[in-house]
Amino acid sequence: MSELKEREVEIQIRDLGVTFKDNAGNDVKALTGVNLDICKGEFISLLGPSGCGKTTLLRTIADLQEPTEGTVRISGMTPKEIRLQQKFGFVFQQPVLFDWRTVKKNVELPLEIMYQSKEDRSKRADEMLEMVGLKGFANHFPNQLSGGMQQRVNIARAFGIRPELLLMDEPFSALDEFTKEKLHEDLLRIWRQTNKTVVFVTHNIQEAVFLSDRICVLSPHPGRLSAVVDVDLPRPRTLEMKESEHFNELVYEVRGKFEGGSV
Amino acid sequence: MAQTTQKIKRPKTLYQRFKENSKAQSAATIVMPVLLGVVIVILWQSQALHHLLRTNTFTLPLLTRIGEIFGENLDKIWDNSVATMTVAFVGLLIGSLLGYGVAIFAALCPRVGKGGLTVIGAFASIPVVALAPVMNNWTKDVSDVASVRSMVAKILVVMLIAAANMCLNAYRGLTELKPYAMDLMDTYAAKKRTVFVKLQLPNSVPYIFTALKVSVPSSIITAIVSEYFAEYIIGVGRQIRENIVLAQYPTAWAYIAAACLLGVAAYVVLMIAQSILLRRYH
Repeated sequence: MSELKEREVEIQIRDLGVTFKDNAGNDVKALTGVNLDICKGEFISLLGPSGCGKTTLLRTIADLQEPTEGTVRISGMTPKEIRLQQKFGFVFQQPVLFDWRTVKKNVELPLEIMYQSKEDRSKRADEMLEMVGLKGFANHFPNQLSGGMQQRVNIARAFGIRPELLLMDEPFSALDEFTKEKLHEDLLRIWRQTNKTVVFVTHNIQEAVFLSDRICVLSPHPGRLSAVVDVDLPRPRTLEMKESEHFNELVYEVRGKFEGGSV
Repeated sequence: MAQTTQKIKRPKTLYQRFKENSKAQSAATIVMPVLLGVVIVILWQSQALHHLLRTNTFTLPLLTRIGEIFGENLDKIWDNSVATMTVAFVGLLIGSLLGYGVAIFAALCPRVGKGGLTVIGAFASIPVVALAPVMNNWTKDVSDVASVRSMVAKILVVMLIAAANMCLNAYRGLTELKPYAMDLMDTYAAKKRTVFVKLQLPNSVPYIFTALKVSVPSSIITAIVSEYFAEYIIGVGRQIRENIVLAQYPTAWAYIAAACLLGVAAYVVLMIAQSILLRRYH
Protein backbone atom coordinates (compact mmCIF):
# COMPACT_ATOMS: atom_id res chain seq x y z
CA MET A 1 0.00 0.00 0.00
CA SER A 2 2.87 2.34 0.78
CA GLU A 3 3.92 1.72 -2.79
CA LEU A 4 0.45 2.66 -3.99
CA LYS A 5 0.45 5.92 -2.05
CA GLU A 6 3.39 7.11 -4.04
CA ARG A 7 1.53 6.45 -7.28
CA GLU A 8 -0.24 9.09 -9.25
CA VAL A 9 -3.91 9.55 -8.40
CA GLU A 10 -6.01 8.93 -11.50
CA ILE A 11 -9.58 9.25 -10.25
CA GLN A 12 -10.50 11.79 -7.62
CA ILE A 13 -13.99 11.58 -6.13
CA ARG A 14 -15.10 14.39 -3.82
CA ASP A 15 -18.33 14.60 -1.76
CA LEU A 16 -20.16 12.68 -4.46
CA GLY A 17 -23.90 12.25 -4.10
CA VAL A 18 -26.51 10.87 -6.46
CA THR A 19 -30.23 11.26 -5.81
CA PHE A 20 -32.96 9.55 -7.82
CA LYS A 21 -36.66 10.22 -7.88
CA ASP A 22 -38.76 7.14 -7.17
CA ASN A 23 -42.15 6.42 -8.76
CA ALA A 24 -43.97 8.43 -6.10
CA GLY A 25 -41.71 11.43 -6.84
CA ASN A 26 -39.79 11.18 -3.58
CA ASP A 27 -36.03 11.67 -3.48
CA VAL A 28 -34.03 8.50 -2.93
CA LYS A 29 -30.39 8.89 -2.02
CA ALA A 30 -28.47 6.27 -4.00
CA LEU A 31 -25.11 7.66 -2.92
CA THR A 32 -24.01 10.29 -0.48
CA GLY A 33 -20.73 11.85 0.63
CA VAL A 34 -18.34 9.60 -1.26
CA ASN A 35 -14.67 10.59 -1.12
CA LEU A 36 -12.16 8.34 -2.82
CA ASP A 37 -8.83 8.47 -4.67
CA ILE A 38 -8.03 5.75 -7.14
CA CYS A 39 -4.43 5.40 -8.25
CA LYS A 40 -3.10 4.77 -11.72
CA GLY A 41 -2.70 1.08 -12.43
CA GLU A 42 -4.63 0.08 -9.36
CA PHE A 43 -7.15 -2.76 -9.22
CA ILE A 44 -9.90 -1.53 -6.95
CA SER A 45 -13.20 -3.19 -6.07
CA LEU A 46 -16.49 -1.60 -5.07
CA LEU A 47 -18.12 -4.18 -2.83
CA GLY A 48 -21.53 -4.23 -1.24
CA PRO A 49 -25.02 -5.70 -1.19
CA SER A 50 -27.58 -4.70 -3.79
CA GLY A 51 -28.89 -1.17 -3.28
CA CYS A 52 -25.62 0.14 -1.85
CA GLY A 53 -24.95 2.32 -4.88
CA LYS A 54 -21.86 0.53 -6.16
CA THR A 55 -23.13 0.36 -9.72
CA THR A 56 -24.31 3.97 -9.47
CA LEU A 57 -20.80 4.99 -8.40
CA LEU A 58 -19.29 3.13 -11.36
CA ARG A 59 -21.81 4.63 -13.78
CA THR A 60 -21.04 8.10 -12.43
CA ILE A 61 -17.32 7.57 -13.12
CA ALA A 62 -18.31 6.46 -16.64
CA ASP A 63 -20.57 9.50 -17.19
CA LEU A 64 -23.56 7.19 -17.70
CA GLN A 65 -25.01 8.87 -14.61
CA GLU A 66 -24.90 12.57 -13.63
CA PRO A 67 -23.87 13.31 -10.07
CA THR A 68 -26.38 15.34 -8.05
CA GLU A 69 -23.65 16.79 -5.87
CA GLY A 70 -19.86 16.67 -5.61
CA THR A 71 -17.35 16.01 -8.35
CA VAL A 72 -15.47 13.25 -10.14
CA ARG A 73 -12.18 14.07 -11.85
CA ILE A 74 -10.27 11.61 -13.98
CA SER A 75 -6.71 12.76 -14.74
CA GLY A 76 -8.00 16.26 -14.01
CA MET A 77 -10.86 16.03 -16.50
CA THR A 78 -14.58 15.46 -16.08
CA PRO A 79 -16.01 11.99 -16.77
CA LYS A 80 -17.77 13.44 -19.80
CA GLU A 81 -14.52 14.70 -21.31
CA ILE A 82 -12.93 11.31 -20.69
CA ARG A 83 -15.92 9.54 -22.26
CA LEU A 84 -15.87 11.78 -25.33
CA GLN A 85 -12.16 11.02 -25.71
CA GLN A 86 -13.08 7.32 -25.62
CA LYS A 87 -10.55 6.64 -22.91
CA PHE A 88 -12.33 3.99 -20.91
CA GLY A 89 -13.71 0.52 -21.47
CA PHE A 90 -16.87 -0.58 -19.73
CA VAL A 91 -17.75 -4.23 -19.13
CA PHE A 92 -21.43 -4.69 -18.32
CA GLN A 93 -23.09 -7.46 -16.33
CA GLN A 94 -24.25 -8.98 -19.59
CA PRO A 95 -21.96 -9.50 -22.58
CA VAL A 96 -24.06 -7.12 -24.80
CA LEU A 97 -22.75 -8.68 -27.99
CA PHE A 98 -24.49 -7.88 -31.25
CA ASP A 99 -26.03 -11.09 -32.60
CA TRP A 100 -25.59 -10.05 -36.24
CA ARG A 101 -21.83 -9.60 -35.93
CA THR A 102 -19.23 -12.34 -35.72
CA VAL A 103 -17.13 -12.56 -32.57
CA LYS A 104 -14.31 -10.71 -34.34
CA LYS A 105 -16.63 -8.03 -35.71
CA ASN A 106 -18.00 -7.52 -32.21
CA VAL A 107 -14.49 -6.88 -30.89
CA GLU A 108 -13.94 -4.49 -33.80
CA LEU A 109 -17.12 -2.50 -33.10
CA PRO A 110 -15.61 0.21 -30.85
CA LEU A 111 -12.60 0.45 -33.17
CA GLU A 112 -14.97 1.05 -36.09
CA ILE A 113 -16.69 3.78 -34.12
CA MET A 114 -13.27 5.32 -33.48
CA TYR A 115 -12.52 5.33 -37.23
CA GLN A 116 -9.55 3.01 -37.11
CA SER A 117 -8.42 1.55 -40.40
CA LYS A 118 -9.61 -1.87 -41.46
CA GLU A 119 -6.16 -3.43 -41.15
CA ASP A 120 -5.56 -1.98 -37.67
CA ARG A 121 -8.98 -3.14 -36.49
CA SER A 122 -8.51 -6.64 -37.78
CA LYS A 123 -5.02 -6.93 -36.31
CA ARG A 124 -6.10 -5.58 -32.93
CA ALA A 125 -9.17 -7.85 -32.78
CA ASP A 126 -7.00 -10.90 -33.56
CA GLU A 127 -4.57 -9.93 -30.78
CA MET A 128 -7.38 -9.45 -28.28
CA LEU A 129 -9.10 -12.73 -29.17
CA GLU A 130 -5.82 -14.54 -28.77
CA MET A 131 -5.34 -12.89 -25.38
CA VAL A 132 -8.68 -14.18 -24.10
CA GLY A 133 -8.13 -17.59 -25.69
CA LEU A 134 -10.78 -17.36 -28.38
CA LYS A 135 -8.57 -17.27 -31.46
CA GLY A 136 -10.40 -20.17 -33.07
CA PHE A 137 -13.81 -18.58 -32.61
CA ALA A 138 -13.28 -15.33 -34.53
CA ASN A 139 -15.85 -16.17 -37.18
CA HIS A 140 -18.45 -17.68 -34.87
CA PHE A 141 -21.60 -15.81 -33.98
CA PRO A 142 -22.24 -14.91 -30.32
CA ASN A 143 -25.13 -17.33 -29.93
CA GLN A 144 -22.78 -20.18 -30.83
CA LEU A 145 -20.70 -19.48 -27.71
CA SER A 146 -21.23 -20.35 -24.05
CA GLY A 147 -21.92 -17.64 -21.48
CA GLY A 148 -18.31 -17.69 -20.28
CA MET A 149 -16.95 -17.37 -23.81
CA GLN A 150 -19.34 -14.49 -24.53
CA GLN A 151 -18.09 -12.68 -21.43
CA ARG A 152 -14.51 -13.19 -22.67
CA VAL A 153 -15.45 -11.56 -25.98
CA ASN A 154 -16.87 -8.72 -23.90
CA ILE A 155 -13.53 -8.33 -22.10
CA ALA A 156 -11.58 -8.57 -25.36
CA ARG A 157 -13.76 -5.80 -26.79
CA ALA A 158 -13.20 -3.60 -23.73
CA PHE A 159 -9.39 -4.02 -23.82
CA GLY A 160 -9.32 -3.64 -27.61
CA ILE A 161 -9.62 0.13 -27.46
CA ARG A 162 -6.49 0.38 -25.25
CA PRO A 163 -8.45 2.09 -22.46
CA GLU A 164 -6.70 4.12 -19.79
CA LEU A 165 -9.33 2.90 -17.42
CA LEU A 166 -11.42 -0.25 -17.28
CA LEU A 167 -14.77 -0.16 -15.50
CA MET A 168 -16.38 -3.53 -14.79
CA ASP A 169 -19.89 -3.96 -13.43
CA GLU A 170 -20.31 -7.44 -11.90
CA PRO A 171 -18.96 -8.98 -15.10
CA PHE A 172 -18.80 -12.53 -13.75
CA SER A 173 -21.90 -12.66 -11.55
CA ALA A 174 -23.91 -14.72 -14.04
CA LEU A 175 -21.21 -17.35 -14.56
CA ASP A 176 -20.64 -20.70 -12.86
CA GLU A 177 -17.84 -21.07 -10.30
CA PHE A 178 -15.38 -22.87 -12.62
CA THR A 179 -15.74 -20.39 -15.47
CA LYS A 180 -15.51 -17.55 -12.98
CA GLU A 181 -12.19 -18.79 -11.54
CA LYS A 182 -10.74 -19.20 -15.00
CA LEU A 183 -11.80 -15.69 -15.99
CA HIS A 184 -10.40 -14.27 -12.72
CA GLU A 185 -6.98 -15.63 -13.65
CA ASP A 186 -7.36 -14.41 -17.23
CA LEU A 187 -8.38 -10.95 -16.10
CA LEU A 188 -5.45 -10.64 -13.68
CA ARG A 189 -3.03 -11.81 -16.38
CA ILE A 190 -4.39 -9.29 -18.90
CA TRP A 191 -4.36 -6.55 -16.24
CA ARG A 192 -0.72 -7.33 -15.46
CA GLN A 193 0.18 -7.24 -19.15
CA THR A 194 -1.60 -3.97 -19.86
CA ASN A 195 -1.17 -2.22 -16.51
CA LYS A 196 -4.50 -0.38 -16.69
CA THR A 197 -6.55 0.99 -13.82
CA VAL A 198 -9.48 -1.31 -13.09
CA VAL A 199 -12.59 -0.40 -11.09
CA PHE A 200 -14.48 -3.62 -10.43
CA VAL A 201 -17.99 -3.79 -8.98
CA THR A 202 -19.00 -6.98 -7.20
CA HIS A 203 -21.15 -8.36 -4.39
CA ASN A 204 -18.84 -11.33 -3.88
CA ILE A 205 -16.32 -10.91 -1.04
CA GLN A 206 -13.98 -13.73 -2.14
CA GLU A 207 -13.92 -12.35 -5.66
CA ALA A 208 -13.07 -8.86 -4.40
CA VAL A 209 -10.28 -10.13 -2.13
CA PHE A 210 -8.79 -12.37 -4.80
CA LEU A 211 -8.64 -9.69 -7.48
CA SER A 212 -8.08 -6.36 -5.77
CA ASP A 213 -5.36 -4.12 -4.40
CA ARG A 214 -8.00 -2.32 -2.38
CA ILE A 215 -11.63 -2.96 -1.57
CA CYS A 216 -14.16 -0.17 -1.03
CA VAL A 217 -16.97 -1.42 1.14
CA LEU A 218 -20.30 0.33 0.48
CA SER A 219 -23.37 0.26 2.70
CA PRO A 220 -26.97 0.83 1.66
CA HIS A 221 -29.74 3.23 2.73
CA PRO A 222 -28.32 5.65 1.86
CA GLY A 223 -25.50 4.30 -0.27
CA ARG A 224 -22.16 5.40 1.12
CA LEU A 225 -18.54 4.38 1.36
CA SER A 226 -18.18 2.78 4.80
CA ALA A 227 -14.66 1.33 4.73
CA VAL A 228 -11.60 0.78 2.56
CA VAL A 229 -9.61 -2.42 3.05
CA ASP A 230 -6.09 -2.94 1.69
CA VAL A 231 -5.44 -6.39 0.25
CA ASP A 232 -1.77 -7.23 0.73
CA LEU A 233 -1.80 -10.65 -0.88
CA PRO A 234 1.28 -10.94 -3.10
CA ARG A 235 1.08 -10.70 -6.87
CA PRO A 236 0.73 -12.62 -9.08
CA ARG A 237 -2.22 -14.20 -7.37
CA THR A 238 -2.86 -17.91 -7.74
CA LEU A 239 -5.93 -20.00 -7.02
CA GLU A 240 -4.04 -21.76 -4.21
CA MET A 241 -3.98 -18.48 -2.29
CA LYS A 242 -7.70 -18.86 -1.77
CA GLU A 243 -6.90 -21.75 0.59
CA SER A 244 -4.40 -19.70 2.60
CA GLU A 245 -5.07 -18.48 6.11
CA HIS A 246 -4.28 -14.89 5.16
CA PHE A 247 -6.86 -14.94 2.39
CA ASN A 248 -9.50 -16.10 4.81
CA GLU A 249 -8.46 -13.48 7.37
CA LEU A 250 -8.96 -10.82 4.74
CA VAL A 251 -12.36 -12.20 3.78
CA TYR A 252 -13.26 -12.19 7.47
CA GLU A 253 -12.02 -8.64 7.90
CA VAL A 254 -14.05 -7.40 4.92
CA ARG A 255 -17.14 -9.23 6.12
CA GLY A 256 -16.75 -7.50 9.49
CA LYS A 257 -16.96 -4.11 7.79
CA PHE A 258 -20.58 -4.67 6.89
CA GLU A 259 -22.88 -3.21 9.47
CA GLY A 260 -24.60 -5.80 11.59
CA GLY A 261 -22.49 -8.43 9.87
CA SER A 262 -25.61 -9.68 8.14
CA VAL A 263 -24.20 -9.63 4.65
CA MET B 1 -50.98 -47.84 -3.11
CA ALA B 2 -50.93 -51.03 -5.17
CA GLN B 3 -52.86 -49.19 -7.83
CA THR B 4 -50.31 -46.40 -8.19
CA THR B 5 -47.45 -48.89 -8.56
CA GLN B 6 -49.38 -50.56 -11.29
CA LYS B 7 -49.91 -47.22 -13.00
CA ILE B 8 -46.20 -46.44 -13.08
CA LYS B 9 -45.31 -49.82 -14.57
CA ARG B 10 -47.87 -49.60 -17.33
CA PRO B 11 -46.15 -49.64 -20.75
CA LYS B 12 -46.29 -46.50 -22.83
CA THR B 13 -49.22 -46.16 -25.14
CA LEU B 14 -48.70 -45.81 -28.87
CA TYR B 15 -49.68 -42.15 -28.60
CA GLN B 16 -47.08 -41.48 -25.88
CA ARG B 17 -44.36 -43.16 -27.90
CA PHE B 18 -45.33 -41.08 -30.92
CA LYS B 19 -45.29 -37.89 -28.89
CA GLU B 20 -41.78 -38.54 -27.57
CA ASN B 21 -40.30 -39.41 -30.96
CA SER B 22 -39.01 -36.24 -32.61
CA LYS B 23 -38.46 -37.91 -35.99
CA ALA B 24 -42.02 -39.14 -36.08
CA GLN B 25 -43.15 -35.68 -35.05
CA SER B 26 -41.37 -33.87 -37.86
CA ALA B 27 -42.60 -36.46 -40.38
CA ALA B 28 -46.10 -35.93 -39.05
CA THR B 29 -45.97 -32.21 -39.80
CA ILE B 30 -45.62 -33.11 -43.48
CA VAL B 31 -47.71 -36.28 -43.63
CA MET B 32 -50.74 -34.96 -41.78
CA PRO B 33 -51.49 -31.93 -43.99
CA VAL B 34 -50.86 -33.99 -47.14
CA LEU B 35 -53.21 -36.66 -45.81
CA LEU B 36 -55.86 -34.05 -45.11
CA GLY B 37 -55.46 -32.71 -48.65
CA VAL B 38 -55.81 -36.20 -50.15
CA VAL B 39 -58.96 -36.85 -48.08
CA ILE B 40 -60.53 -33.57 -49.28
CA VAL B 41 -59.62 -34.32 -52.91
CA ILE B 42 -61.21 -37.79 -52.63
CA LEU B 43 -64.34 -36.42 -50.95
CA TRP B 44 -64.60 -33.65 -53.56
CA GLN B 45 -63.95 -35.75 -56.65
CA SER B 46 -66.23 -38.59 -55.46
CA GLN B 47 -68.99 -36.02 -54.83
CA ALA B 48 -69.20 -37.08 -51.19
CA LEU B 49 -68.50 -33.47 -50.36
CA HIS B 50 -71.47 -32.38 -52.49
CA HIS B 51 -73.76 -34.71 -50.51
CA LEU B 52 -72.35 -33.40 -47.25
CA LEU B 53 -72.85 -29.77 -48.25
CA ARG B 54 -76.15 -30.51 -50.04
CA THR B 55 -74.90 -28.92 -53.25
CA ASN B 56 -74.32 -30.06 -56.83
CA THR B 57 -71.50 -30.18 -59.38
CA PHE B 58 -72.85 -27.04 -61.03
CA THR B 59 -72.10 -24.70 -58.10
CA LEU B 60 -69.19 -26.80 -56.80
CA PRO B 61 -67.56 -28.17 -59.96
CA LEU B 62 -65.43 -31.30 -59.84
CA LEU B 63 -61.69 -30.79 -59.50
CA THR B 64 -61.03 -32.30 -62.90
CA ARG B 65 -63.40 -29.78 -64.47
CA ILE B 66 -61.73 -26.86 -62.66
CA GLY B 67 -58.35 -28.17 -63.83
CA GLU B 68 -59.59 -28.38 -67.41
CA ILE B 69 -60.83 -24.78 -67.34
CA PHE B 70 -57.59 -23.67 -65.68
CA GLY B 71 -55.64 -25.23 -68.56
CA GLU B 72 -57.87 -23.73 -71.23
CA ASN B 73 -57.68 -20.21 -69.77
CA LEU B 74 -54.01 -20.27 -68.81
CA ASP B 75 -53.22 -17.08 -70.76
CA LYS B 76 -56.09 -15.11 -69.26
CA ILE B 77 -55.35 -16.39 -65.76
CA TRP B 78 -51.72 -15.41 -66.21
CA ASP B 79 -52.61 -11.87 -67.33
CA ASN B 80 -54.99 -11.37 -64.40
CA SER B 81 -52.46 -12.84 -61.96
CA VAL B 82 -49.84 -10.41 -63.21
CA ALA B 83 -52.29 -7.53 -62.65
CA THR B 84 -53.05 -8.67 -59.09
CA MET B 85 -49.42 -9.31 -58.23
CA THR B 86 -48.38 -5.91 -59.61
CA VAL B 87 -50.87 -4.20 -57.31
CA ALA B 88 -49.85 -6.36 -54.33
CA PHE B 89 -46.12 -6.02 -54.91
CA VAL B 90 -45.98 -2.29 -55.71
CA GLY B 91 -48.31 -1.52 -52.79
CA LEU B 92 -46.29 -3.74 -50.47
CA LEU B 93 -43.00 -2.20 -51.55
CA ILE B 94 -44.02 1.45 -51.32
CA GLY B 95 -46.08 0.84 -48.18
CA SER B 96 -43.31 -1.04 -46.38
CA LEU B 97 -40.71 1.59 -47.25
CA LEU B 98 -43.06 4.33 -46.13
CA GLY B 99 -43.88 2.46 -42.91
CA TYR B 100 -40.20 1.91 -42.20
CA GLY B 101 -39.52 5.59 -42.80
CA VAL B 102 -42.21 6.63 -40.34
CA ALA B 103 -40.81 4.10 -37.83
CA ILE B 104 -37.37 5.69 -38.15
CA PHE B 105 -38.85 9.11 -37.60
CA ALA B 106 -40.76 7.88 -34.54
CA ALA B 107 -37.65 6.19 -33.14
CA LEU B 108 -35.51 9.30 -33.60
CA CYS B 109 -38.11 11.82 -32.40
CA PRO B 110 -40.04 9.88 -29.74
CA ARG B 111 -42.10 12.85 -28.59
CA VAL B 112 -43.84 13.45 -31.91
CA GLY B 113 -43.40 9.90 -33.10
CA LYS B 114 -45.28 8.07 -30.38
CA GLY B 115 -48.48 9.96 -31.12
CA GLY B 116 -48.05 9.21 -34.80
CA LEU B 117 -47.75 5.51 -34.04
CA THR B 118 -51.11 5.52 -32.29
CA VAL B 119 -52.71 7.06 -35.38
CA ILE B 120 -51.06 4.45 -37.59
CA GLY B 121 -52.21 1.69 -35.26
CA ALA B 122 -55.73 2.96 -35.81
CA PHE B 123 -55.20 2.95 -39.60
CA ALA B 124 -54.09 -0.67 -39.43
CA SER B 125 -57.46 -1.69 -38.02
CA ILE B 126 -59.58 -0.14 -40.81
CA PRO B 127 -61.10 -3.01 -42.82
CA VAL B 128 -60.12 -3.22 -46.49
CA VAL B 129 -63.76 -3.36 -47.58
CA ALA B 130 -64.22 0.08 -46.06
CA LEU B 131 -61.00 1.54 -47.42
CA ALA B 132 -61.30 0.33 -51.04
CA PRO B 133 -64.43 2.29 -52.07
CA VAL B 134 -63.09 5.41 -50.37
CA MET B 135 -59.84 5.17 -52.33
CA ASN B 136 -61.78 4.68 -55.56
CA ASN B 137 -63.57 7.91 -54.89
CA TRP B 138 -60.43 9.83 -53.96
CA THR B 139 -58.52 8.79 -57.06
CA LYS B 140 -61.26 9.68 -59.56
CA ASP B 141 -59.26 12.61 -60.97
CA VAL B 142 -55.83 11.01 -60.99
CA SER B 143 -55.94 10.01 -64.63
CA ASP B 144 -58.21 9.99 -67.67
CA VAL B 145 -57.49 6.32 -68.22
CA ALA B 146 -59.73 4.01 -66.18
CA SER B 147 -57.12 1.26 -65.86
CA VAL B 148 -54.59 3.72 -64.41
CA ARG B 149 -57.14 5.26 -62.01
CA SER B 150 -58.11 1.83 -60.73
CA MET B 151 -54.53 0.70 -60.40
CA VAL B 152 -53.67 3.74 -58.29
CA ALA B 153 -56.70 3.21 -56.05
CA LYS B 154 -55.88 -0.46 -55.47
CA ILE B 155 -52.20 0.21 -54.82
CA LEU B 156 -53.11 2.92 -52.31
CA VAL B 157 -55.22 0.48 -50.27
CA VAL B 158 -52.47 -2.17 -50.21
CA MET B 159 -49.94 0.53 -49.39
CA LEU B 160 -51.82 1.79 -46.35
CA ILE B 161 -52.27 -1.68 -44.90
CA ALA B 162 -48.62 -2.63 -45.52
CA ALA B 163 -47.30 0.69 -44.21
CA ALA B 164 -49.19 0.45 -40.92
CA ASN B 165 -48.01 -3.10 -40.34
CA MET B 166 -44.37 -2.37 -41.19
CA CYS B 167 -44.31 0.82 -39.15
CA LEU B 168 -45.48 -0.79 -35.92
CA ASN B 169 -43.08 -3.73 -36.23
CA ALA B 170 -40.07 -1.73 -37.40
CA TYR B 171 -40.53 0.75 -34.55
CA ARG B 172 -40.22 -2.13 -32.08
CA GLY B 173 -37.12 -3.35 -33.93
CA LEU B 174 -35.51 0.08 -33.75
CA THR B 175 -36.29 0.68 -30.08
CA GLU B 176 -36.42 -2.69 -28.30
CA LEU B 177 -32.68 -3.16 -27.85
CA LYS B 178 -30.73 -5.54 -25.66
CA PRO B 179 -30.26 -4.22 -22.13
CA TYR B 180 -27.14 -2.04 -21.86
CA ALA B 181 -26.72 -1.87 -25.67
CA MET B 182 -27.44 1.87 -25.62
CA ASP B 183 -25.10 2.35 -22.61
CA LEU B 184 -22.38 0.47 -24.46
CA MET B 185 -22.64 2.84 -27.42
CA ASP B 186 -22.60 5.77 -24.97
CA THR B 187 -19.33 4.58 -23.46
CA TYR B 188 -17.83 4.74 -26.96
CA ALA B 189 -19.20 8.29 -27.27
CA ALA B 190 -20.92 7.07 -30.45
CA LYS B 191 -22.86 9.69 -32.38
CA LYS B 192 -26.61 9.32 -32.81
CA ARG B 193 -26.09 8.46 -36.45
CA THR B 194 -23.56 5.75 -35.60
CA VAL B 195 -25.87 4.23 -32.99
CA PHE B 196 -28.59 4.18 -35.59
CA VAL B 197 -26.51 2.56 -38.32
CA LYS B 198 -24.59 0.08 -36.17
CA LEU B 199 -27.18 -0.86 -33.57
CA GLN B 200 -30.77 0.15 -34.28
CA LEU B 201 -30.87 -0.62 -38.01
CA PRO B 202 -29.44 -4.14 -37.81
CA ASN B 203 -31.52 -4.81 -34.70
CA SER B 204 -34.68 -4.08 -36.70
CA VAL B 205 -33.99 -6.56 -39.53
CA PRO B 206 -35.72 -9.59 -37.93
CA TYR B 207 -38.69 -7.34 -37.19
CA ILE B 208 -38.92 -6.42 -40.88
CA PHE B 209 -39.48 -10.09 -41.62
CA THR B 210 -42.03 -10.37 -38.82
CA ALA B 211 -43.92 -7.57 -40.56
CA LEU B 212 -43.53 -9.13 -44.02
CA LYS B 213 -44.81 -12.51 -42.85
CA VAL B 214 -48.11 -10.75 -42.19
CA SER B 215 -47.85 -8.16 -44.99
CA VAL B 216 -47.11 -10.47 -47.91
CA PRO B 217 -50.26 -12.59 -47.61
CA SER B 218 -52.35 -9.62 -46.51
CA SER B 219 -51.21 -7.49 -49.46
CA ILE B 220 -52.41 -10.16 -51.88
CA ILE B 221 -55.73 -10.49 -50.06
CA THR B 222 -56.05 -6.70 -49.97
CA ALA B 223 -55.30 -6.46 -53.71
CA ILE B 224 -57.95 -9.11 -54.43
CA VAL B 225 -60.58 -7.45 -52.28
CA SER B 226 -59.90 -3.96 -53.69
CA GLU B 227 -60.33 -5.35 -57.20
CA TYR B 228 -63.96 -6.08 -56.32
CA PHE B 229 -64.58 -2.36 -55.91
CA ALA B 230 -62.35 -1.07 -58.69
CA GLU B 231 -63.70 0.67 -61.76
CA TYR B 232 -61.55 -1.19 -64.28
CA ILE B 233 -62.22 -4.94 -64.58
CA ILE B 234 -59.00 -6.86 -64.14
CA GLY B 235 -57.30 -9.07 -61.58
CA VAL B 236 -57.78 -12.49 -60.05
CA GLY B 237 -60.20 -11.21 -57.42
CA ARG B 238 -62.31 -9.36 -59.94
CA GLN B 239 -62.47 -12.44 -62.19
CA ILE B 240 -63.74 -14.54 -59.27
CA ARG B 241 -66.54 -12.05 -58.77
CA GLU B 242 -67.38 -11.59 -62.49
CA ASN B 243 -67.54 -15.33 -63.12
CA ILE B 244 -69.71 -15.99 -60.08
CA VAL B 245 -72.10 -13.27 -61.25
CA LEU B 246 -72.24 -14.98 -64.67
CA ALA B 247 -72.68 -18.37 -62.93
CA GLN B 248 -69.49 -19.64 -64.61
CA TYR B 249 -68.48 -21.53 -61.50
CA PRO B 250 -65.65 -23.67 -62.95
CA THR B 251 -63.94 -20.48 -64.18
CA ALA B 252 -64.50 -18.76 -60.84
CA TRP B 253 -62.93 -21.76 -59.09
CA ALA B 254 -59.99 -21.71 -61.50
CA TYR B 255 -59.30 -18.10 -60.38
CA ILE B 256 -59.72 -19.10 -56.73
CA ALA B 257 -57.07 -21.75 -57.35
CA ALA B 258 -54.86 -19.11 -58.98
CA ALA B 259 -55.30 -16.81 -55.95
CA CYS B 260 -54.21 -19.66 -53.64
CA LEU B 261 -51.16 -20.38 -55.79
CA LEU B 262 -50.15 -16.70 -55.79
CA GLY B 263 -50.41 -16.52 -52.01
CA VAL B 264 -48.41 -19.70 -51.47
CA ALA B 265 -45.78 -18.73 -54.04
CA ALA B 266 -45.26 -15.29 -52.49
CA TYR B 267 -44.92 -16.81 -49.02
CA VAL B 268 -42.40 -19.37 -50.24
CA VAL B 269 -40.31 -16.61 -51.85
CA LEU B 270 -40.41 -14.68 -48.57
CA MET B 271 -39.35 -17.74 -46.55
CA ILE B 272 -36.41 -18.38 -48.87
CA ALA B 273 -35.35 -14.73 -48.63
CA GLN B 274 -35.61 -14.89 -44.87
CA SER B 275 -33.56 -18.06 -44.57
CA ILE B 276 -30.80 -16.39 -46.59
CA LEU B 277 -30.90 -12.92 -45.04
CA LEU B 278 -31.57 -13.91 -41.43
CA ARG B 279 -28.90 -16.60 -41.19
CA ARG B 280 -26.98 -14.46 -38.74
CA TYR B 281 -29.92 -13.74 -36.45
CA HIS B 282 -31.09 -16.54 -34.22
